[in-house]
Amino acid sequence: MHIHVASSYSLRFGVAPPAALAERAASLGMETLALTDRDGLYGAVRHVRSCADAGIGAVVGADLKVASTGEERIVVLAEGRAGWRSLCRLVTAAHAAGQRGNPLVTREMVGAHAEGLIVLLGPASDVGRAITGRRPDVAAARLDAWRATAETAVEIVDHRDRGDGPRAARMLALARAAGVPAVLGNAVRYLDPADQPVAQVLDVTRRLVPLDRRHLDDRTGHAYLKPVHEMRRVAELSCGPDEAEALLAATRRLSERCVLDAAHDLGMDGVHLPVVDGDPYARLVSRCADGMARRGLDGSRRAADRLGDELGVIARKGLAPYFLTVADAAALIRSRGIRCAIRGSGAGSLVNHLIGIGDLDPLRHGLLMERFLADSREGLPDIDLDVESARRLEAYEALFERFGAESTACVSMMETYRARSALRDVGNAVGLPPHEIDAIAKAFPQIRASQIRAALDDLPELRQSNLAAGRLEVVFRIAERLDGLPRHIAMHPCGVLLSNPTLRDRTPVEQAAVGFPMSQFDKEDVEAMGLLKLDVLGVRMQSAMAHAVAEVARVTGEEIALEDVPRDDPATYALVRTSRTLGCFQIESPGQRELIGRLQPRDLDDLVVDISLFRPGPVNSDMVSPFLESRAGTREPAYPHPDLEPVLRESLGVVVFHEQVLRVFDVMTGCGLSRAEAARRSLNHERGQAVVGAWFRERALARGYDEPTVERVWKVLTAFGAFGFCKAHAASFALPTYQSAWLKRHHTAAFYAGVLTHDPGMYPKRVILDDARHFGVPILPLDVNRSAADWHAEPVSAGGPTGIRVALSEVKGISDAEVGKIVNERPYASLTDFWRRARVSRPTAERLVLAGAFDTVYDGVPRRDLLCRVGSLDRVTARPGRVMEGQLPLGHEDGDDALFPVGGRPPTPPGSLRSPPWSGMEIEMAEEIPAGELPPMTPAEVVEAELDILGMDVSRHVMTFYAGLLTGLGVVRAADLPGRPDKSEVLVAGVKVATQTPAVRSGRRVIFATLDDATGPVDLTFFESVQDRCAATVFGSWLLLARGRLRRAGAHAVSITANACWDLNVLHEEWRRGGTDAVRAAMAGRTDPMRGGGPPGSATGRPVGRRIVHPTGFAISPYSDIGHAGPAVKRPPKTPLWYTSRGSSGPAP
Amino acid sequence: MTRVFGDPVDVWVSDGRPVRFVWRGRLYSVRRVLEHWVTTRDWWREREPDGEATGEREFWRVEATPDREIGVYELRYDVAADSWLLSRVWD
Repeated sequence: MHIHVASSYSLRFGVAPPAALAERAASLGMETLALTDRDGLYGAVRHVRSCADAGIGAVVGADLKVASTGEERIVVLAEGRAGWRSLCRLVTAAHAAGQRGNPLVTREMVGAHAEGLIVLLGPASDVGRAITGRRPDVAAARLDAWRATAETAVEIVDHRDRGDGPRAARMLALARAAGVPAVLGNAVRYLDPADQPVAQVLDVTRRLVPLDRRHLDDRTGHAYLKPVHEMRRVAELSCGPDEAEALLAATRRLSERCVLDAAHDLGMDGVHLPVVDGDPYARLVSRCADGMARRGLDGSRRAADRLGDELGVIARKGLAPYFLTVADAAALIRSRGIRCAIRGSGAGSLVNHLIGIGDLDPLRHGLLMERFLADSREGLPDIDLDVESARRLEAYEALFERFGAESTACVSMMETYRARSALRDVGNAVGLPPHEIDAIAKAFPQIRASQIRAALDDLPELRQSNLAAGRLEVVFRIAERLDGLPRHIAMHPCGVLLSNPTLRDRTPVEQAAVGFPMSQFDKEDVEAMGLLKLDVLGVRMQSAMAHAVAEVARVTGEEIALEDVPRDDPATYALVRTSRTLGCFQIESPGQRELIGRLQPRDLDDLVVDISLFRPGPVNSDMVSPFLESRAGTREPAYPHPDLEPVLRESLGVVVFHEQVLRVFDVMTGCGLSRAEAARRSLNHERGQAVVGAWFRERALARGYDEPTVERVWKVLTAFGAFGFCKAHAASFALPTYQSAWLKRHHTAAFYAGVLTHDPGMYPKRVILDDARHFGVPILPLDVNRSAADWHAEPVSAGGPTGIRVALSEVKGISDAEVGKIVNERPYASLTDFWRRARVSRPTAERLVLAGAFDTVYDGVPRRDLLCRVGSLDRVTARPGRVMEGQLPLGHEDGDDALFPVGGRPPTPPGSLRSPPWSGMEIEMAEEIPAGELPPMTPAEVVEAELDILGMDVSRHVMTFYAGLLTGLGVVRAADLPGRPDKSEVLVAGVKVATQTPAVRSGRRVIFATLDDATGPVDLTFFESVQDRCAATVFGSWLLLARGRLRRAGAHAVSITANACWDLNVLHEEWRRGGTDAVRAAMAGRTDPMRGGGPPGSATGRPVGRRIVHPTGFAISPYSDIGHAGPAVKRPPKTPLWYTSRGSSGPAP
Repeated sequence: MTRVFGDPVDVWVSDGRPVRFVWRGRLYSVRRVLEHWVTTRDWWREREPDGEATGEREFWRVEATPDREIGVYELRYDVAADSWLLSRVWD
């Protein structure tokens, strides 16, 4: 019945999700509901599906801005298939016409897409504006113009604001006089009057102003989904009872006409694949036959049978064009020299292997097709391709070129409000000062907005923040109500739609920020719409490996084809077994390093198991320990039933893979793998689990399995639940894992150059750099004559070891153009020479100097002197129109006059845009600087500059400067930890390089922190019992000292169960003041409770939040796997690293 | 001229509209409703805002008369408090 409704997909305007609106409309007895979101059809597919679920008819339209001087809007509704097509194309045209983010239509554009569209002219239209302005003559003329354009109706809206009633009456009179149908709308924005404050906050957020009556669209709280009787009542008040009834009847008639059929009108009943020439199935069969020969499988009976099965399913589902298209896409990407690997369940299909999409032989690795493609699976199968992240957009370009811009589009995704974004927007709305808003937002971990107040109570680091004070209560309450509302449309990181030229009839398209056409539908929508989405995911590790391979070729001339590297290299597995796997794909996290240490992988299949085991599912059903024990030979593998031994032998009796779940179902019930896959998917939810449980028991008992066995197996299956891992996915991960480890083992410097350039992992680059040091790779400093845009491998001397050279792009604030110029104009004989030819900005030149990029140009000249020279060069050569980016006036610095021994100060003040003559004489004058006037930088200052400019300590490790303190306290170094007895208490210290709160078996929040202490990583575990006193310090400090109990995990790995921790800089300050005794006193408790840890046992831990228990029995903490509070770990903080560095020589080395 | 009051008044309502009210001991009959609208509170300006939408206020601008002389009166109804005020008078 409602014909003008905005859902939350009207960004920063609507409040209610489409499903809630549909449910409410149905419960109010309405037979239809329209969704007319602002500026797009982002919520249309959800609306159509929600209405189907609610049993009401779906009407779809859009509320579009009309190009005009004011803010004029119209609503267009779609009727039938033609209407939907017109609506999609009109919305696309609106986005093409306006600037990005400001779509516009004109009457002419509406006219060009008028087929099947009905234009509603309400109070916001030009007609409504004229009526409001008491110009019925103008209104009548405008109405005539619209009628000549498209089918038109007048929409009466009365929100009971001042003037609404009389305007409604006058608009109705206009419609009656002109003989145009009039309908009744309510311009709905939310479900209930109580939602009005949220709409008001969205109004001011959209306009970037604080809350004030004059900025609000909604002053009455009447834009809710009103029941019919209330709509009638409003109409009666303004237009009289007879007209009210007539309006309602007309509205119903229009709604019924516009109900869309999902299958016929929207095309949801079919799949809309790219056009493939000829008989697609025959082509696929022949390409598979070629593949059998190429992969050396043509003699294999097993392969032939499997191929027959797969082709059978493909034929029945008519998916041959799909496979041909994806094969085409993968080949196209590879033909551009972009690394491309298959990921996910698609690796389980032999067809994918044969037609060159995937590189793994599914038969060899025991992968199943049914997990990917089965008669029981609905919709299109998913094939995901991993490409080099740095060249992902290049791959997209290739796809757009090949499949045509009309038939191709990226998939979008909605970014929604979470705690931090909601707090920022509400804070601004209520007028909090910006710095306060920033502090509040950053105090929260990256949780959902709805968790804000719960987190304030649950999390010790927030309890100590005093944020819960009453003043902010309203901010928190409203921020929570923004939870999950879409706030920004973005390009999905990997989805590309490949279709035919009817694509633009099926989805509206707008331009993404990076310029690609992007569907307004997200990945679920496009699936419902029967569109083929290919996931082309940018994977940094693929870029890192490509860079490494290129570096090897550049330095040694050796061409490596990673795909052809033997996958059984003992040296590579030997490296993996040491757990020194930082930088390697998938196996560098603390947990994985520990697991590898225990599992001791010997081949690719072991890596597949390792990757699958490191998941919540296996952890939950407690299979890691039995598996490791069986593997170590300390426990006999146990099988729930002898029949299951062939299925579970590869994992020693433990269910690790989805594929095994399928086989267990098949063995025990004889249902076949396709039905088994359907059963596996049903385990994901409670209802499905009950149904499948009954079915499984009945079938298994009927086949003669005894009851205890059936129950035992069922328990294993449900515990495994939905959290397991697809073996095909693990296998497609294991390959790059192996390849990266192989590169680390055999081309170490090139490997680090790749990893440092593309930053694929979880650790800050400085950790990778330190790892390189431990592997004996020399770190070559930034050098203006040698450093390239990216990290390079560089032989230190002929025949000597290969080092890695710091990249120019690491310099803070340097632009790509500057990097390009520096590299192109090389070499430089002097700073002046550099200044003249490279022409970089002054801040960049200064940073280069401070980071040591000129040390080899000027042997022995202190960097401070060089810095002064940059200043004087800048003054004498100040260029007109130059951007003074971030520049500080340096004219009054001490010693400045010394730079100009002859002529004194130059005539132009710093920062002036006046252009002094660019004369050689003045440059020469600037060149005449007596060296050695200023003291050289101390090692501490050098490292501080490196951390500030490059984000990493290049010349030496930060922890070097704390050696005295650490020795005084008897702190144990990472390298020495394995030699310490199990369960002994130790002190450890280092730079925090990672914190994680992964889902663990207990459902508690466990904080894992990794410190880097220059001898290797130290892995710390903080359980809930100590988080009261430790969490704030762990999340808030960059340098940490911790006390804890040593725990052995396998032969090599150890970790520390921490019971106290302190900010190392706070302790260092104590140490400087009062020596070791003062530090010990501070650690014993006489310390600032906000910064130090306090004595162990001083606070009793309380549970951190309520556990969430899943239907499978799996419990997780509400705070697992979220970004933590406080600053990010990836770059060092901006504050001084040690308190003493300012103006002094820094801590004693 | 306009005068602003905030006097409580007793109002008789029929069919959702005010029809009579008593102000300062005199009975006024509503002849005609000139304008009628609603607003909600500016919750963000309150001392301790709770961000809840409560307390819609209805405004009725009416022509009314205690005898023969007609004036314009603005009545305000506070839904939450269920109370009427005479907010303005034009006479």
